Amino acid sequence: MFENGLLNLTNWTANVIMPTLAGLFAAGAIYRFSKAQSYTNLSYAAFASLMCSGLLRALETFTSQAGANDPDRYWLSILTLTNWVGNVLLPLYGTLQVVMAVVHFAGLLERMTIGEAWVRNLASAMMCFGLSGILRLLESWIQNGAAGVR
Amino acid sequence: MTTPQILVDLLQLLFDLAVPAAMCTMVLAGLALRTEGGVNFEAGGRFQRWMLWSVILLTLPQFLSWFAAHGVPMPSQAGGVSSPWLAGIEGGFKSFVQEVIVAKLVSILAAFFVLKAALDGAQGHNPLGSIVAAIFLLTVSTTVQLMQGFNSGSQFATTDMLASLWNFVSGTILPEAAGLVVVGAIINYARQRPVMPLVYSALAFLSVQGSGSLSRQWSDEARERR
Repeated sequence: MFENGLLNLTNWTANVIMPTLAGLFAAGAIYRFSKAQSYTNLSYAAFASLMCSGLLRALETFTSQAGANDPDRYWLSILTLTNWVGNVLLPLYGTLQVVMAVVHFAGLLERMTIGEAWVRNLASAMMCFGLSGILRLLESWIQNGAAGVR
Repeated sequence: MTTPQILVDLLQLLFDLAVPAAMCTMVLAGLALRTEGGVNFEAGGRFQRWMLWSVILLTLPQFLSWFAAHGVPMPSQAGGVSSPWLAGIEGGFKSFVQEVIVAKLVSILAAFFVLKAALDGAQGHNPLGSIVAAIFLLTVSTTVQLMQGFNSGSQFATTDMLASLWNFVSGTILPEAAGLVVVGAIINYARQRPVMPLVYSALAFLSVQGSGSLSRQWSDEARERR
C-alpha cells in the first residue's frame, strides 16, 4: 500500500540515513572548527540528525493540543511551539550563554579564533581522533533525553 | 423498443472494463505526479484529473444510478457479455492490464523514477519527488483496492470516495510526510537554507483537518453575516 511505502521511506530516511549522515555533519563541523570558521550549523545538524523521531514526536505533541477537526489546531500548534521555544529552549540557550560568558572572560576562546591557534588545533586534533566517541556521546545524551527529564 | 444485443454487449463490455481502466488512469496519475512539480502537485493539473477519472471509473455504476434516479434512462448493468468475440476482447484487455501494465510496466517505470531520483540528486535537485512517484506507481493495484473499499454503494459514491480519499490523505499520508519534512528541515539547516517554512509545513501537515474546519468556519461566518 502507498501509505506503507511512504512510512518505510520516512523510517528509512529518518532512522537509517540521517543517523549515518550525523557522522558526516560532525566531521564537517570539526573541519570547519579547525579552520576557525562557523561550525554551529553542522554541529547542531549532527545532533538533530540523531533525533529525527524525537523532533517529529515534538511536532506531533504540538499539534495534538487540540482535536483533529478543531479549527484552532494549527494556531494552538504554533502557540505550543512558541511556548516551548520561550520556556524550554531559551532558558537552555541562556544557560549556554552564561557558560560562554565565563569562557570568554577567561580568554579561552580568543585562542580558538585569531592569533594563538594552538588550543583550536589541539581541540580539533582531539575531536578528529575521537569522532566516533563524540557520536556515541551524542547518542547517549539523546537516549537519556528519550527517557524524559529526570 | 428493445436495445439491440450488440449494443447491450458493448455497454456491458465498457462497464466491465471500468476497473482495469481505473488501473491505467492511476498509472497515468503516478506519471503526472512526477512531471508536475516534484514533491508538490499542480492544483487542477493532470494528477488531480487522472485521480478524478479513477474515482469516476471505480464508481461508474453508482454514478449512473444517480442519473437513473432523476429519470434519465440508463442501460441495465446486470449480466455479462454474451458475445464470445466481445468476451475475448474483455478478457484480453483485463489480462493486458494485469499481466503487462501492473505486473511489468509499472515496476519498470518505478525503476526509471528511482534512476531519475539519483540523477535529480546529482544535479542538486530534490530527489524526493521521483521517489514518491515511484512508490505511488508500485502501489497502484493496492491503492485501487483501497479505493474500491471506499465505495459506499450509494448514488453519491463518487463524492463519498473523494471524501474518503481526502480523509486518507489528511489522516494517514500527511502525518507520515511530516517525518520527511523534519528530515528536510535538518538538511536545510545543515546547508544554511531556510528551515522555518518546513517546520510550519510539518505542523500544517499534522493539523490539516483542523485547518479545513477553520476554513469551513470562516465561510460559515461569512454566510451568517450576509
